[in-house]
Amino acid sequence: MGEYTMAKLYFGILGIVTVLFGVSELAVTAGGTSFSWGILEIPNEMFRGGWGGFIVLFAGLFYLSSLKNFSEIHQFSKAIMGSIMIWVVAGLDIFAMITESIPGEEGWFNSLGGFLGTYAPPYTPAIILLPFSLVVIYYICKRKAS
Amino acid sequence: MGLSVDERWDLIDKISKETVTFGKYKHTLKDAVGELTIKPLTGIPIAIAVLYGLWSFFGSFAGFFTDGFFVSLFDEHFLPWIQSVFPDKGGWLYYIFVGDPLADNCFEAFGVLTSGLFIAIGVVLPAIIAFYLILTLLEDIGYMPRLAVLIDTILHKIGLHGYAIVPTILSLGCNVPAVTASRILETRKQRFIMMTLLAIFIPCGAQLGIMEEVIPDTMGYVLIYLLIGYFILGFILNKIIPGKSPEILIDVPPYQRPMLRNVRRKMQMRIVGFFKVAIPFVLLGCAVVNILYKGGVIDWLANVMSPLLSGWFGVPDETVGPLIAAFLRKDLAVAQLSAIPMTSYQMITSVVLVSIYFPCVATFVMILKEGWKDLLGSVAVLAAVVFLYGGLIHLIGILLGVA
Amino acid sequence: MKVLLMGHPNVGKSVFFNRLTGSNAIESNYPGTTVDYTKGYMLLENKDVEVIDVPGIFSLEPKDRAEEVSVKMLEEEKDAIVVCVFDASKIERGLYLALEIIEKGYPVIIALNMWDVATDKNIAIDVKNLEKILGVPVIATTAISGEGIAEVVSRIGEASPVKIRNIIKNAGD
Repeated sequence: MGEYTMAKLYFGILGIVTVLFGVSELAVTAGGTSFSWGILEIPNEMFRGGWGGFIVLFAGLFYLSSLKNFSEIHQFSKAIMGSIMIWVVAGLDIFAMITESIPGEEGWFNSLGGFLGTYAPPYTPAIILLPFSLVVIYYICKRKAS
Repeated sequence: MGLSVDERWDLIDKISKETVTFGKYKHTLKDAVGELTIKPLTGIPIAIAVLYGLWSFFGSFAGFFTDGFFVSLFDEHFLPWIQSVFPDKGGWLYYIFVGDPLADNCFEAFGVLTSGLFIAIGVVLPAIIAFYLILTLLEDIGYMPRLAVLIDTILHKIGLHGYAIVPTILSLGCNVPAVTASRILETRKQRFIMMTLLAIFIPCGAQLGIMEEVIPDTMGYVLIYLLIGYFILGFILNKIIPGKSPEILIDVPPYQRPMLRNVRRKMQMRIVGFFKVAIPFVLLGCAVVNILYKGGVIDWLANVMSPLLSGWFGVPDETVGPLIAAFLRKDLAVAQLSAIPMTSYQMITSVVLVSIYFPCVATFVMILKEGWKDLLGSVAVLAAVVFLYGGLIHLIGILLGVA
Repeated sequence: MKVLLMGHPNVGKSVFFNRLTGSNAIESNYPGTTVDYTKGYMLLENKDVEVIDVPGIFSLEPKDRAEEVSVKMLEEEKDAIVVCVFDASKIERGLYLALEIIEKGYPVIIALNMWDVATDKNIAIDVKNLEKILGVPVIATTAISGEGIAEVVSRIGEASPVKIRNIIKNAGD
């Protein structure tokens, strides 16, 4: 128990936040108007908000279901899977940014300002979750080492 | 020849006792993650995430090349250039190769060198590359057999088993290799059901690419209609075709890191295959339809087919042109449909019709290679399906008040 | 002389084939990638030898179209040398097919492929002893990284038909 208390606490909080993000993506999509607050922007179109939100929601559920008996390998793998699902959504959000940033409106390529502007906030929930989901790698390494 | 099956197993028992020792096998993290992807409760959300990834990558990648570069390359530079340099404006050759001299974009020009090249290279090629890249990765990592196990129960309802997901997904790239891949199904009944479903209801990568470009908003409905049709027809065929549908027999291999060398080689082969099969047919299709237009055949056919097209299916009579093109290439047909003015529900109906009504000529030849009897059977099923399902979609539209 | 690559589905025959011949059979990580045979050539003692990548089969009683192709192939190539590719972690099944082929009188050489996977699973195989019992060359390989391929090539010449009686006798003691 003791050794993984920190991990449980961490993934517990991350799991709750992720579930909340997922639910709000679905709610925003159902509502129809996009939502923006600080650096957060929740998408509202069917594919990204609906389908993507569903995946974020499940990523959160994966985290939460891994908490009980966290150190056991099958339980821990659920936390890994939660992170992988966030990586899928966030990775493709970033990929979409990259592909949008390069071509220009007039002329072949975007201006430098336009290019950089694409990467400015606000970000989708998945991208905001991304750095926090990477913590799982630390625990994978730790497990490999032992 | 000597040993019976039992004797052979006895001998194997003896040999392995002498030579093999099984150590204690501890589950690794890789196994544990692998298990999650097979168990339904966790596996289904994961499969949905994988599908999302495939689709999202497909959209961004194809959009980058098509909307980002090829549209302006073709519409702003290539089209005006070829319209001005091609000789004999107003003549037959001009009409066939360049098309409408007043067109300001390559979708509406309709010529072999304008619409044809734009569709093949500007729209479909990026889509195909994106799709095959993801497909190749999924294959090499080892996800496909897991998907097969996951979806096994559902596919049994339509007379197939989980492994049918492999030809189905390959078919989303191109129906041609998918027909060959259906050989991994055990019985003739299964192979027939598989080939028929592939030929009718699975849109190929080229078609997906063009749909993403010209009807991004209504594409989802087209896909839902096709998916529902896939299961309805499979369910019916399973009931009426005699024969057995055995259980799935499959080893789930361990996950692997994909090897760059193999991925590169497979991509290369598939893209070269696309160039050989697709591009000539797209260009040929453009030429044939243009000649038929110019000769008045299309107008005549539109008149003759009017009761069926506008009466039964509820789509404009002009769709007869794209329907002819669809014999050769589905992507070309969808592109031509997009230039015909119609309501969005008519567009959904006509794109579904184009998808289901006849396999493209390359697929046709492949099925023929698997046996002409199966081909005749498939075509008979297909004729009935197009007529009934097309009518059904029209009926649904009427009931919803959108047709 | 021809060399046939035979074995269960997804044991890496196509990877093996590409390693041997430098050609482009499609490889995937799922059973049933190869549904038709692929031919290629390899250099053996300065001679071009035809190598055939045969679709995977479980036994010589075919259960689908792809397997029919394999069995027919084996029957047509009476003078072929058969390289049996095993999944080393599932050696019993591999042996079943290999014994069937040996009983038909073909010279056989056995590649215990996916050796890395077997090691991961803590399965230890006494290759020397297996070779002694069967009387045919047995080599541990990991085709995907190329380990053991060279040894398979160098020992293809050693393959010769063995009598099943001798195997039973060897296994008995």
